[in-house]
Amino acid sequence: MGRVGAGRVSAGRVVLGALGVAGAAYGGWLLVQRGFADLVATAVWLGAGVVGHDGLLAPLTLLAGLLAARLLPRGWLGPAARFGVLVGPVTLLAVPVLGRFGARADNATLLDRAYWPGWALLVGLCLVGVAVGAWLEGRSGVATRRDDVP
Amino acid sequence: MTTGLPTRPRIPREEDFRSRLRGPEVTSRIGVWLGVCFAVAFLTGVYSHLSQQPDPVIPLPTHPVWLYRLTQGLHVTAGTAAVPLLLVKLWSVFPKLFARPPKELRELALHGAERVSIGVLMAAAIFQLVTGLMNTAQWYPWTFSFRATHDAVAWVAIGALAVHIAVKLPVVRQAFAHDVDDDIVERPADLPASALGRRSLLRTTWVAAGVAVLATAGATVPWLRKVSVLAVRSGDGPGGVPINKSAAAARVTGLADAADYRLVVAHGDRETSLSRADLEAMPQTTAELPIACVEGWSAQGSWTGVRIRELLDLVDAPHGSAVLVTSLQPSGPFRVTRLPAAFADDASSLLALALAGEPLSLDHGYPARVIAPNRPGVLQTKWVARLEVV
Repeated sequence: MGRVGAGRVSAGRVVLGALGVAGAAYGGWLLVQRGFADLVATAVWLGAGVVGHDGLLAPLTLLAGLLAARLLPRGWLGPAARFGVLVGPVTLLAVPVLGRFGARADNATLLDRAYWPGWALLVGLCLVGVAVGAWLEGRSGVATRRDDVP
Repeated sequence: MTTGLPTRPRIPREEDFRSRLRGPEVTSRIGVWLGVCFAVAFLTGVYSHLSQQPDPVIPLPTHPVWLYRLTQGLHVTAGTAAVPLLLVKLWSVFPKLFARPPKELRELALHGAERVSIGVLMAAAIFQLVTGLMNTAQWYPWTFSFRATHDAVAWVAIGALAVHIAVKLPVVRQAFAHDVDDDIVERPADLPASALGRRSLLRTTWVAAGVAVLATAGATVPWLRKVSVLAVRSGDGPGGVPINKSAAAARVTGLADAADYRLVVAHGDRETSLSRADLEAMPQTTAELPIACVEGWSAQGSWTGVRIRELLDLVDAPHGSAVLVTSLQPSGPFRVTRLPAAFADDASSLLALALAGEPLSLDHGYPARVIAPNRPGVLQTKWVARLEVV
């Protein structure tokens, strides 16, 4: 992947960058105000997010892509990628409700849905949506030529 | 998606990733919407933070009554939509993680500075989305204070985002000046055709963000309740309003339903004490007001009770007085809350005794609770024991 020219540094960009540094510094100062124990706990969570993405989620996504390329017929890769983009993020997003980690015996109004069936329904709908989309595209192949051959 | 990783294990290089989808053409377009989501979440978050201050530095309006419901619903919705956007955006730039640092010192310094700013942005952005989402489900496996930390890291995130935009603006401009299928960076001529076009990837990403919102927003948008299979609440509860903190969790059971319950209204040395029957004997007002929680869920209720202003009149409190509201609950950060003067004087601010025509349930704050317009749910104090003019 090549580089894009750095571009002229306009006054607007300098001001925006300076405001950004000031905002981030204010946030850092707020964190320091919380005291050492909170600061350490926050730093652990901040670091875990990056490590969790770059060290776990991204490699797993790459692996899933490689496996799909190996195992699926060429024509299925596009729909499979779409399915992954639809279902992957919403599944991660659903972890707190699927695991019901915050559920409390004394509050029946919190986390009060059947989340696993709901999730399965959502995945099923995504699957149907992607399949129908692929079928429609297959029927009107010319219209999507541009997507297939970049 | 084919990446053609080497078979012999070694640290990959940027060039090893061989997808035409990765690059500024896609990244810029997702980035703009991600920026919009973060800006919305930041502004509504600051508003929420301000609303929760006992004495906000900027006086907040009491009307429209649904303002906080809207801003906090937007806050959580923007954060939810940002999850698919952030994940696809990070995917599209992942090879940059393996870019080799330049040799020349000045270049190296710039490269390092940009890496640090990206690292800070990524850490803060992921932190905000993860902790925010967990908060909506009341899942707190950490030791830091959620509210204070989510606020502090929000400033770090928005600041690092501003720096990122300042650095990337020329690239974004260039990307938008061309068709998404035009390459604006050089790529090797032998790259394989992608299984998915850039347009398809973008379209799928927008749909994914929409799916994430539809699957969760029913916690605050009533007509989505049936659709939102992953919403933290179905919206059911006594009187059609869910419960945030139960009487058992607040440890008020026994205190709240005691026969000798008395509400004390105090102003200087003037003090009056009222039983629940005394309160019921006073003129009753009904107000349609939402409970809108910081966790993003909200529900409209029909509340009946005594106007707070009329209770303050019993102790001759002048208009424009703020009120300290004390709950029966023995502890907790919101045991004592401050109702600013504008809210105490508002005609729809009630000490509610009933919800939807039924006496309040214990979990909704029996014998009496505060319900005021345009206030975060945590400040709608339940099991009220004392109103003190300050």
